[in-house]
Amino acid sequence: MSILLSDLTKRFGDHAVVSRVNLQIEDGELFVLLGSSGSGKSTILRMIAGLTPPDEGRILLHGRDVTYLPPQARGTGFVFQNYSNFRHMSAAHNIEFGLRIRKVSRSERRQRSEELLDLVGMSGLGRRYPDQLSGGQQQRVAIARALAYQPAVLLLDEPFGALDVKIRTQLRESLKSVQRRLRVTTILVTHDQEEAFELADRIGVVDRGLLVEVGTPQDLYYRPSSEYSATFIGGGNVLVGRAEGGTIRLGAASFPLRSGDPHHDEGAPVRVLFRPEALVLSKHPIAKEQDLHLLASGRVRESVFAGTIQRVRLDVDGLQGVRPLTPAPAYGQRSTQIECVYPSDPGSPPLVPGEEIWVGVRQYHVLQPSGLRLLIGLDPRAIDRKILDYGLRLAQTAAGPATLLGVVPDRAKDAEARAVLEPLLHEASRQMHNLTLRVRVGIPSSEILLEAQEAHAELIVLGVRRGRKGHAMLGSTARTLIEQSEVPVLLVQKPRQLISRILIFTAAGEPGKRDVLFGGRVARRTGGVAKVIHVIEPGSEARGSQRALRHLEEAQASLEQLGVKNEVQTVEAEDVTQAILQEAEAWDADVILLGAPSSAERARLRGRDVGSQVARATDRPVLIVPRD
Amino acid sequence: MTASSPMGRPRKPSMLPVYLLVAALLPLLLMPLAAVYVFAGRGGLSAFVNAVTQPDAQFALRFSILMAFATAAVNGVLGTFSAYVLSKFRFRGREALNVIVNLPVAIPTVVVGTSLLLLWGPIGILGRVLDPLGIQPMFAPAGVLLAHLFVTFPYMLGAVKPVLDELEVTYEEAAYTIGASRWQTFRHVILPALRGGLFSGTLLTFAHSMGEFGATVLVSGNLRLRTQTAPLYIFAQFEAGNVENANAVAAVLATLSFVLFFLLLRVTQRSAPRAG
Repeated sequence: MSILLSDLTKRFGDHAVVSRVNLQIEDGELFVLLGSSGSGKSTILRMIAGLTPPDEGRILLHGRDVTYLPPQARGTGFVFQNYSNFRHMSAAHNIEFGLRIRKVSRSERRQRSEELLDLVGMSGLGRRYPDQLSGGQQQRVAIARALAYQPAVLLLDEPFGALDVKIRTQLRESLKSVQRRLRVTTILVTHDQEEAFELADRIGVVDRGLLVEVGTPQDLYYRPSSEYSATFIGGGNVLVGRAEGGTIRLGAASFPLRSGDPHHDEGAPVRVLFRPEALVLSKHPIAKEQDLHLLASGRVRESVFAGTIQRVRLDVDGLQGVRPLTPAPAYGQRSTQIECVYPSDPGSPPLVPGEEIWVGVRQYHVLQPSGLRLLIGLDPRAIDRKILDYGLRLAQTAAGPATLLGVVPDRAKDAEARAVLEPLLHEASRQMHNLTLRVRVGIPSSEILLEAQEAHAELIVLGVRRGRKGHAMLGSTARTLIEQSEVPVLLVQKPRQLISRILIFTAAGEPGKRDVLFGGRVARRTGGVAKVIHVIEPGSEARGSQRALRHLEEAQASLEQLGVKNEVQTVEAEDVTQAILQEAEAWDADVILLGAPSSAERARLRGRDVGSQVARATDRPVLIVPRD
Repeated sequence: MTASSPMGRPRKPSMLPVYLLVAALLPLLLMPLAAVYVFAGRGGLSAFVNAVTQPDAQFALRFSILMAFATAAVNGVLGTFSAYVLSKFRFRGREALNVIVNLPVAIPTVVVGTSLLLLWGPIGILGRVLDPLGIQPMFAPAGVLLAHLFVTFPYMLGAVKPVLDELEVTYEEAAYTIGASRWQTFRHVILPALRGGLFSGTLLTFAHSMGEFGATVLVSGNLRLRTQTAPLYIFAQFEAGNVENANAVAAVLATLSFVLFFLLLRVTQRSAPRAG
């Protein structure tokens, strides 16, 4: 293979822009890294070229380890979005520059630049200076320049981003044919999925520094395994139903789970992708036939004429208990929306909002089951088996991959920690397959935060010690996590058997949407119930209680959307902490869920915020959800 | 329509501000410039030639041009190098250094002369050490050069650094991936891009060196036929009452400055559109 990346990682400050990217690119392949801006795709490319030094991992080009070589010694051809042709050199001299550096004779140089100009469709324009060329022509010169010295790999960073649509299409075709002719291994970075589809042999989807999925354009479009690529590539609807006796139940409709679909346990959530063009719209009820399943009926919400097709968004009501992932529902929205396309027909009237319509499905794809990604922080010097078992139990019910993380103060302790943790992992792996072990060196709190970021963990589980009087002691690690984590933190002092009763508190002031949604997600995964309690101070004005009511109503709607049984309640209390503790006892909550302190509260209260106080005063697990 | 003339064409705006400006500038700028030539030509051509060909005048003019060339050469290289380092490297104290290298424009030249004397003079901090070795930079051509280097240092930097700052890093990165070393990149990619800045910076340095007075008068000791530059000669002749001699050299100096200035103007005008 031409390019091999292993565990490539780059951090800017304490922010991981590229996390443990592993990738193999074959000889002569045209590989496209696709991702939204800021996803880290360009950083990957720059690390391959040697323009940005990686923090961890290795880069091999044609079997040669170039991780620590300067860009000059790597033999890559790099094409920038802004062309970066040398302005004082003619096109031909630009192309010859690499050969001049390599002391190639003048006649050979001349011959090579003419060949290349011809190859990129610029023959006869070699004497022109960059400012006498159009953007498209300049980029052709830049590509020729990068190819002149026969680089090991060709790297293009958003090469057509600055060009208009028509030129872009022409250049894509040229690039593709040049690449085919020379069979040079190529990586192109883009945020334009159309470009990726047109060019790529294979596409790698990048999201927040993580290489989410790799596959051919067809695979990624029709058979994506992750939710991110399903929703990033092409338009589409992802609905979450349930596995029920060999079928997927989506409200009133049910679809067979086919033999090729990923395995789902009975009752487990199933994410189904419908591409808009695989949906059939009809103004009359659809009869069930071969390969056409009735999904639901609904009303046209909006319809946009787009030439050959009409883009239609429907409000569908037959899908109770079905959670739509995309299009993402607004907070508090009750009905499910679906996006489809309807072929334009000059003979028949277009669809108008409010019109009654039936939706059938010709083709659907079941995504890989994904659970909650858990990070279980362990102290290798004193493993608490009960916390570990609780974390694993949680991982199992939430069907999530889990990482066991041990943090040691220095390198010397690394092997020791592994010796303790590996048998535990081995033992646990008999019951769960997607477990990984990480040992990091440094301060526990910051290493946990880094790992959570790099592994895109969705929940951190951390044991807290029992202090005098049975109260929990919040060590510096727990305190830092409560204050700084961008991921919910579950502090466990005395593990409970299950998470089936989740008590969500939203205090007066800003209602926390994220707390409710996260609580709902956990409840959905663990099959639990949720109770939302809004605490208001006694004698607060009527407007405040109005707002509280509206907030609770929205919370209820959102939990119902998630298919979570719930109840809501408003409580008046002077002492919020006390009220929470009483309510938790009375309802026998398995988890108390609270919002993390805001930055202003952090500065003002210094560890005396409600979350920390509750965590100190109860022995029930406390789940702290950070603000948006 | 009330503002327009009966013909329907808008009325021309009044030209009064232009006249006012010319009237104000006449005694301030234009007349002094003309006066130099008027007085220089007063005694006829032979008097002018006679004044300019005097050995002292000849020396002063040649010495000034020599100093200007030397200053432009040294500061051309040093200034470009400083601009490159200050623009491309990130290090502690970079901001402070950035301010310090630009300070000479703000310091009165007489103060520069004084501090150079206190450093390099026979009783100065460094001069005291050098004196027994027979090295006396003050009251010698070397001292004049030191003063001119100090005073003109910011001009090169000011002309080159903005161009370097604007030059996107991708040009260098492109050169590196192509295989060019740091030096090759500087030589083949950066330096050519700086041409305009280099030229105007050098010209500015040259012009300022030609006219430098305040620092020079202190460090040179104003020794005729040894350290006397043209501006010092003009001043000395005026003081001695030889107005014709002073005027003749002043006219030559002014002409040289004009030529340099128009050159500068043409360079900056030509390089401006290419920078985009």
